Amino acid sequence: MSKNIKLSHITKIEGHASLNLSIDNGKVKKCELQSTEGSRYFEGLVKGRIYEEAPEITSRICGICSSAHTVCAIQAMERAIKFKPSEQTIMLRELMTLGERIRSHATHLYFLALPDFLGYESALAMAQKYKRELSTALRLVKLGNNIVKKVAGRDIHPVSAQVSGFLTLPTQESLDEIKEETDERKSDAITTAELFAKLEYPDFERKTQYFSLRNKFGYATLYGDLVSESSNFPQKELHSYLKEYHQEHGTSNFVVKRGMSYMVGALSRINNNFDQLSKDAKKVVKKAKHKFPNFNPFMNNFAQAIELVHCLDRVSEIIDFVELKHEKPHEIKIKDGHGIAAIEVPRGILWHEYTVKAGKIKAANIITPTCQNLRNMNDDIKAFVPTILDLPKEKMILEIEKLIRAYDPCFSCSTHFLKVKFKRT
Amino acid sequence: MLRKQKIEKKKKNKKPVVGFYAITGCQGCLLSVLFNEDKLFDLTKLIDIKAFPFIKQLEGAKEFDVVFMEGLVAKKNDLKELKEIRAKTKVLVAIGACACTGGIPAFRNFMKEDNYKHLVYHKAMHLTDMKPTPIDKYVKVDYYLPGCPPDKNEILTFIKDFVLGKKPEIYKKPVCFDCRKEGNPCLLDSGKLCLGPITRGNCGAVCPSGGLECWGCRGPTDDANIKTMMSLLEKKGFDVSHIKKRMKSFVGLKLAKKGIDTYEQEY
Repeated sequence: MSKNIKLSHITKIEGHASLNLSIDNGKVKKCELQSTEGSRYFEGLVKGRIYEEAPEITSRICGICSSAHTVCAIQAMERAIKFKPSEQTIMLRELMTLGERIRSHATHLYFLALPDFLGYESALAMAQKYKRELSTALRLVKLGNNIVKKVAGRDIHPVSAQVSGFLTLPTQESLDEIKEETDERKSDAITTAELFAKLEYPDFERKTQYFSLRNKFGYATLYGDLVSESSNFPQKELHSYLKEYHQEHGTSNFVVKRGMSYMVGALSRINNNFDQLSKDAKKVVKKAKHKFPNFNPFMNNFAQAIELVHCLDRVSEIIDFVELKHEKPHEIKIKDGHGIAAIEVPRGILWHEYTVKAGKIKAANIITPTCQNLRNMNDDIKAFVPTILDLPKEKMILEIEKLIRAYDPCFSCSTHFLKVKFKRT
Repeated sequence: MLRKQKIEKKKKNKKPVVGFYAITGCQGCLLSVLFNEDKLFDLTKLIDIKAFPFIKQLEGAKEFDVVFMEGLVAKKNDLKELKEIRAKTKVLVAIGACACTGGIPAFRNFMKEDNYKHLVYHKAMHLTDMKPTPIDKYVKVDYYLPGCPPDKNEILTFIKDFVLGKKPEIYKKPVCFDCRKEGNPCLLDSGKLCLGPITRGNCGAVCPSGGLECWGCRGPTDDANIKTMMSLLEKKGFDVSHIKKRMKSFVGLKLAKKGIDTYEQEY
């Protein structure tokens, strides 16, 4: 028996992607999940621009994780020009990143993932019967957007966060408002986690390398070493353990760690940093029947829901701690240099790398989470398909799409054309 | 009531069939629609959303009353999709900087190929890549909702006006007008390369309010005098090549008639 499955436009994901699958005698002969997004060459676009323009330009790589690109670009740039930001600045950047993670997870969980599990074609179609759930979703999205907007001036493509600091600071009152809204939404986050704990996930496991940041001070967002199975990798040694390569026809590149595929994102973060989750996030897991570390990729959905609870707790914690001081962006003495930054964003680790010479960007390199997950997604599909061969084709496609969506892929991001660095080892 | 009248009435009450599509872009414009958190479900009462691949299965419609199109033409498939959709819709609205003016990705037009050639990593890309351009280079666009990202309220107002049969108004005042209303200090005066005077407003001057100079993402106003702006900025001591790069960042291809040589390659 042989089957060919071609999905030329996978819906309910960010950006455009296609899947080409052929199955022969119960085995997957070909599996090509690829981005079909047009190329935008962001790394070329920043070349020759003034160093401080990088965050503004690279933010446009992605709408849903524009804060992520902004913050990551800033951090890499500060390392390149050898500038150390203030503690307050770092905390405000973390708030932006957390706000973005809240809105991104809520959007993915309710609008992209949930309809599959409840048997609807879209969240809009669920509106009548599941109005309560969707209202929860929209309240969480609103909270996330409000956090980014109040801290950085605008919810999509933030404006105030710049190299060296914030152009304008939020007022203490607006931070207090965020805190109040966050506390109000806490029950929504917990309801979400409970809902996603209860969903019926396909019984599928494939252990891979779970790659995330980790630092000793708490659940890592902006700082830390990269970890995977108790090995540590410093951020600046990126090129010694990650290699990028491309596959024909698709427009995004793949990344492998020491020759093997790996996973980034909420599931990896929780697999590696479970001990650092907030008390209430841990409580949610304890109540659910699922255990971590978990090797079922579908559980990335539940992992995101757990993170919602954690992120809300962390936002509260930061605001309790911050006492805003007036700080204007500093005068910078620009030095030539090279900087790499990796931060945890909704879909996993994001890398920005810049070389600066005489205040201008000489070279740039960006690796997005979906690029890193792409090879792992392909490997998962290859392993998953043989377990669902009995299903009718339509049902099978839905299950494969569910798997792809569990990763919350963003193909807008993953299409940006990097240099080919594929090495046979 | 006569049958004919009934049909007429039914036709009148029918919600407009609407599609939200994206070609190459960042999906930020479609998110700007989705992120109308409090009003999203009210919106679905006003319009019949038949296509929204970002959050819906592919379903589509034979014919649309209005389609909102995000993104720019950057590969051959974008053009194919754009033309197919244009043929199916009565009204096409370009939403966001990429669709309206080319946005940041169209800045590639002003770069020497050497700057990005090394990023093209296989032959297939040469075959499918196109010169990045806003959508009105290839199809008729009925309305523009500019900005990166577009303004959420502007989108809602447009939809409401459309449902009511009102002709959507085009905002003509510059960003400076909005900025004064917000009570911001002038960023030009504090030594920033702000393009507020020549840029179409209705964004609430959100960038200057956050301390960031206007980059001109909403495109030039009808009466923008680019040359005067150039010499003003030059007098303030900004480097000419830097000024040009800024002006071209979001809307370069639309400045041709305004006194900037569009295809002059900068670096």
